[in-house]
Amino acid sequence: MTLPIMKNYINGEWVESNGTQIGDITNPATGKTIAQVVMGTADDVEKAVQAAREAFLQWRQTPPLTRARYIFRIKDVFEENFEEIAQTLTMENGKIIDEARAEVRRMIENVEHATAATTLMSGYTLEDIATGIDCAGHRQPMGVFAGIVPYNFPAMVPWWFLPYAIVSGNTYVLKPSEQVPMTQTKIFECLDEVGLPDGVVNMVHGSKDVVNAILDHPDIQGVSFVGSTATAKHIYKRCGETGKRVQALGGAKNVVGIMPDANLDAGLPSLVTSFYGVAGQRCLAGSILAPVGNIADKLVDKFLALAKKIKVGDGLSDQTAMGPMAGKIHLDRVLGYIEKGIEEGATLVLDGRDCKVEGYPDGYFVGPTIFDNVTPDMTIAREEIFGPVVCVVRCKTIEDLIQLVNTRDFANAACLYTDSGAAARKFKYEALPSMVGINIGIAAPMSFFPFGGSGNSMFGDIKAHGQEIFHFFTDTKVVIERWF
Amino acid sequence: MPITSFGGLLNFAEKMEKQDMAFYESVATNPEMKDFSDLFHEFAKDGKKNITHILRTRRENVTEMILEPISDFFREPFVLEAGDGKNMDRAQILDYSQKMEARAIAYYTQGAVKIKALPEVSQALKLAGKKRIAHTKKLSGI
Repeated sequence: MTLPIMKNYINGEWVESNGTQIGDITNPATGKTIAQVVMGTADDVEKAVQAAREAFLQWRQTPPLTRARYIFRIKDVFEENFEEIAQTLTMENGKIIDEARAEVRRMIENVEHATAATTLMSGYTLEDIATGIDCAGHRQPMGVFAGIVPYNFPAMVPWWFLPYAIVSGNTYVLKPSEQVPMTQTKIFECLDEVGLPDGVVNMVHGSKDVVNAILDHPDIQGVSFVGSTATAKHIYKRCGETGKRVQALGGAKNVVGIMPDANLDAGLPSLVTSFYGVAGQRCLAGSILAPVGNIADKLVDKFLALAKKIKVGDGLSDQTAMGPMAGKIHLDRVLGYIEKGIEEGATLVLDGRDCKVEGYPDGYFVGPTIFDNVTPDMTIAREEIFGPVVCVVRCKTIEDLIQLVNTRDFANAACLYTDSGAAARKFKYEALPSMVGINIGIAAPMSFFPFGGSGNSMFGDIKAHGQEIFHFFTDTKVVIERWF
Repeated sequence: MPITSFGGLLNFAEKMEKQDMAFYESVATNPEMKDFSDLFHEFAKDGKKNITHILRTRRENVTEMILEPISDFFREPFVLEAGDGKNMDRAQILDYSQKMEARAIAYYTQGAVKIKALPEVSQALKLAGKKRIAHTKKLSGI
């Protein structure tokens, strides 16, 4: 059987890469190869940037309202192809179909938000800054921007950036994750129907060589990245060396605190999905469950009972509540962390290592896993596991909890379950992470609010989406005028 | 088989509407019911509208809470073998239609309660059920 091969999209055409290295795309539920991708080269990036650069002049002169109309059309075509995109996503990434649908919806919400460009990218003016002199700040597009995106949200994450970049008048080069390129290929097939001018959006598949070519390219004005902290740091540094704007979102180690007064009956379902949704493979996933005071035993018992009920399997079945790890490498990594937890003396309350799914002997499954009596210095309490592993760190007071939150290497998200307004205020005021949930397990900002952490969870100044994103994709040109 | 998820709940509704729509389309061409052909066409059209409505709900009303499991809800009481509308007589058609409508109303009513944590989805199911309640009244008038 011939496998489909993902192509690059450059200057409005589907083109083959001149690369020679081929990567397999695997369905993580079956372990079978379902397609292939040619790893692009610096030459592919050069072609894409050239097309984007040539398209820029005319595109920036296109009135913002006309550009916004293209974005409306993109929304329409995404709605029409919604289910197909979601199914493709589940097939190559493994997440359950409802999670895939939710992801596609979040992608479309960014498209919807970007349609407000005529308001959100407006500049401002002030008359008589000195007698007879007026001042205006115009937000101008800058040229070619690029996105480098991860495997865990192959549909949504590129669209945290792309629609805002192009509606602002820039042109774009996207590099999807080489592990899951089918979803964006499907999405770009939809874009192709919209009829954007050639070169406005381009996509180059590949890995390290494509990334480095993007980072070093002198005609790329800025880069948006989401992935691991190590890579985010590398990208931030390298973009700094070539004078680019950069927003680089890295890893996380999110703590979910539970106060003794928390309403467990109401909160538990969302708490469980915080840790096990997308099989823990998201930067907003709960990783450390931190009961405060005497609620710990009760919480662990109730949490364990719900975790045991989670049905692991193929994401395409609507009977499945948790899908596989996105790849073999991720499976091995998570299993390694479970071994590490045992080795360092944590109590393994629920062991997901030997997770068998009938009919799927080669899938990359790990079942829900819970460690109790984890201490803050253990590896599993410090490093990002990115899998369905809950680490219970028991705290005596809210001060201990906040100390735990603020001493992780990351500062992405933190949540607190409580009935006390005072505890909630103290937590949201003192916790360092930039995304905080109160009685919410996943503090995920929607498209109209900014997404991103601080500390080692984000490098750069302007976060993903929200109103601020228009600042990232525009330069404010100040014009000071006097007429005689 | 249990229905445990947002997607599962709406998928079953879609299947049920498709099956019922096919039945009404076939009844509309059955000579036994030729006096009521328009009415059965209208029922089939309602089915199509409900499908559109259900698919829109599945696309649009998606929040983090959809991942919270549904419990104690099963397909079996709502499964009905597909009826052969072309070859039934008048009495069989009316009897089967009422059975179909009753199971749809029961499904939407119980489903709306099971998913009340997502008010928009619950409301969507109630709306779909409303059309089916109207069908039973019209069927009773035949």
